[in-house]
Amino acid sequence: MNFTLDDELRKRLAGLRELGRAHIRPLGLEADRAGRPIPADHPFYAELLRLGLGRTRWLGGEEEREEDQPSPGGRNHRPAITGVLLSEELAYWDRGVAVSFPGPGLGEPPLLAMGTPAQKQRFLAPFRAPDRPRWGSFAMTEPGAGSDVAAIRTSCRPDGDAWVLNGDKSFAANASRADWIVVWATVDPALGRAGHRAFVVERGTRGLGDFKIEKKMGLKAYESTSFTLRDCRVPAANLLGGEGLAKSRQAGFKGAMQSFNSTRPMIGAMAVGIGRAALDAALEFARAERRLGDRRVRERIERIHRRLRAARLLCWRAAWLADAGRPNILEASMAKAAAPGAALEATLLGMELLGEVGGRGDHLVEKLFRDVKAMDIVEGTGQIQRILMARQLVGLPRD
Amino acid sequence: MIDLSFDPELELLRETARLFGAERLRPRERESEAARGVDDATRRAFAETGLAAVEWPESLGGAGLGALAHALVLEELGAADVGAALALDPLGPAYAALVELGEEAALHAIARPLLERPGGRAVLAWNGERRVELRAGTASGAIPWAPCDRADALVLLDADSAAVVEAGIACAPLRGAGLRAAGAAELRLERAPVRDWWVNPRAARRALARARHYIASLLVGVMRAAAEFSRGYALERVAFGRPIAHHQALAFLIADMATAVDGARLLVHEAACALDRGEPAEVLCATAFAEAAEQAMFVTPSAVQILGGHGFMQDYPVEKWMREARALGLLFGGVDAAREDAARDLASEATPLALVAS
Repeated sequence: MNFTLDDELRKRLAGLRELGRAHIRPLGLEADRAGRPIPADHPFYAELLRLGLGRTRWLGGEEEREEDQPSPGGRNHRPAITGVLLSEELAYWDRGVAVSFPGPGLGEPPLLAMGTPAQKQRFLAPFRAPDRPRWGSFAMTEPGAGSDVAAIRTSCRPDGDAWVLNGDKSFAANASRADWIVVWATVDPALGRAGHRAFVVERGTRGLGDFKIEKKMGLKAYESTSFTLRDCRVPAANLLGGEGLAKSRQAGFKGAMQSFNSTRPMIGAMAVGIGRAALDAALEFARAERRLGDRRVRERIERIHRRLRAARLLCWRAAWLADAGRPNILEASMAKAAAPGAALEATLLGMELLGEVGGRGDHLVEKLFRDVKAMDIVEGTGQIQRILMARQLVGLPRD
Repeated sequence: MIDLSFDPELELLRETARLFGAERLRPRERESEAARGVDDATRRAFAETGLAAVEWPESLGGAGLGALAHALVLEELGAADVGAALALDPLGPAYAALVELGEEAALHAIARPLLERPGGRAVLAWNGERRVELRAGTASGAIPWAPCDRADALVLLDADSAAVVEAGIACAPLRGAGLRAAGAAELRLERAPVRDWWVNPRAARRALARARHYIASLLVGVMRAAAEFSRGYALERVAFGRPIAHHQALAFLIADMATAVDGARLLVHEAACALDRGEPAEVLCATAFAEAAEQAMFVTPSAVQILGGHGFMQDYPVEKWMREARALGLLFGGVDAAREDAARDLASEATPLALVAS
């Protein structure tokens, strides 16, 4: 058993820290003040490409090797734990900016899990050595279907060598700037999850439009975008996994759920990162204001430190299991359920220590307080995580 | 690099402890509680396993393994019968104070003869509040409660020092709130001769950290037992036409209890690894203790709640676990002192949770 980081990872984290201090946090604060996402043509994104970021994990080639598969020959044997650690550090500097990073984003896991070799080639290859910042996106949520993903209403029907999509999608990160969006639709709502299909809808496809960048409480640096599909014709070749996968029962839904399994510990780690930023800022403020002599203040800081540390270890465990190729549904949900509460508490304490200074609305802690709440909502709310945990622990029935 | 697996040697050790607990301790837990001690056959069987000695050096007949090995053993014994676990460990957390402050010499002069005495017990008591006064080579005062029925050696630990008393200790039996299988006594001293008094603040802090780690490991075992037992019960007990575990109010509670156990355990293991690497571990041990105690006081009353009226009755073990979790958390200054110790160090750090040093 070992809780230490190796030198290579330390080096990557130290590099990220410098990037965070110099660019990520200032950009996040700037976007928050402006109330607008960072524009897609911001030079920072081109700089990220030069640093080797904003790329796909897919390695291409005939073996279909992927960096997120445990493979002794792969470049990274520890993709999940690496992802968790980098996510925490990124979110420490600014979670909103981190989500706005170029790359295939949340569209990548379903492409890797469900896509045919040709689809991976078409949609991920441009992200291997991108000529310019490129984004992918993922659209499951609808105005009437959030946690209950089986209830999506966006329809798809085959029509010749294409599918026709109709519906509304909500809160998709980076959607309006994306080269493509993985859109989830249903052949028949009555079929529930078995009716789900995933399509790669490319930018400029006729019928894809009405992009609306939502106004949010926090995390303003990246766009959460709603859009519509109106008789949107998508080539049959863009149906993820092709007809074969779609016909195997529940394959579509399972593909979607698998993408969440791999990202839950990372979301937990991002919450820890935000909480850690709030703790550090609270400590700094309390020290400057000579409040640390107050035992009540020290005790609250101790509690925050302890809760964040426990949450971090839960994230590490879920990721470590994933890297070991072992089931982690329960552990991933534990991490995702525990971390946002701890992080919210950290920001609440920070605000409390700030007192009226927190009320001014211009302190980092106040921004973190608005940012952090999303972590208990995105990619499965805390309540959904508890349902998933209860299924594992006590076989909670699905209905 | 982060690796949460255990060496096969540790897995084997844990399995040995689990089996011993399941076969020898759990079936007799109410008898041991009523008898305020463990019977001789169990005591002999336990001595043969060598489980008390995992952390002791070979010179003391131990295995020379570290805090992590010990934590795994203690969790298993704590899950089986935590009172018996204390009763069966002749040195208990006093070992940490002896070795940190008295070093090898103390193990020879104090621990070894004690281990040769049948049923010999060393008792560690926190004396931070100066309940026992040390003056002119003698100790006077009283420790209001210690989970023991005898004290062949009493180690009085405070923030700066440890004192050892071997004679003149009066053990006045108490009913005890929990941990009765370990015994329960008020320890009175009237000008008892102090055998050794070591002043070494750094070593004293480390001894306290290790003692807290010992208790935290037991607490993880107790709350794990409570969480698992109540989960099993909730799957069998039917109300309103389905297992009560399938009512979301309880399903969510059960999920949160499992998370609480796992989070506390991970903190205990993280602290153990720091101890075993010889790194500063005072904050980590205090943190693990505070978390284990706090979460045990969430998990064990919740287990009673899940069993409802049955939980309150002594036919089931959950009420015992609730009492024992509460009692364990009182030891060595309790949760508040642990939190204060952790907080004091945190307050001097700029970025206490940084992944890489600035």
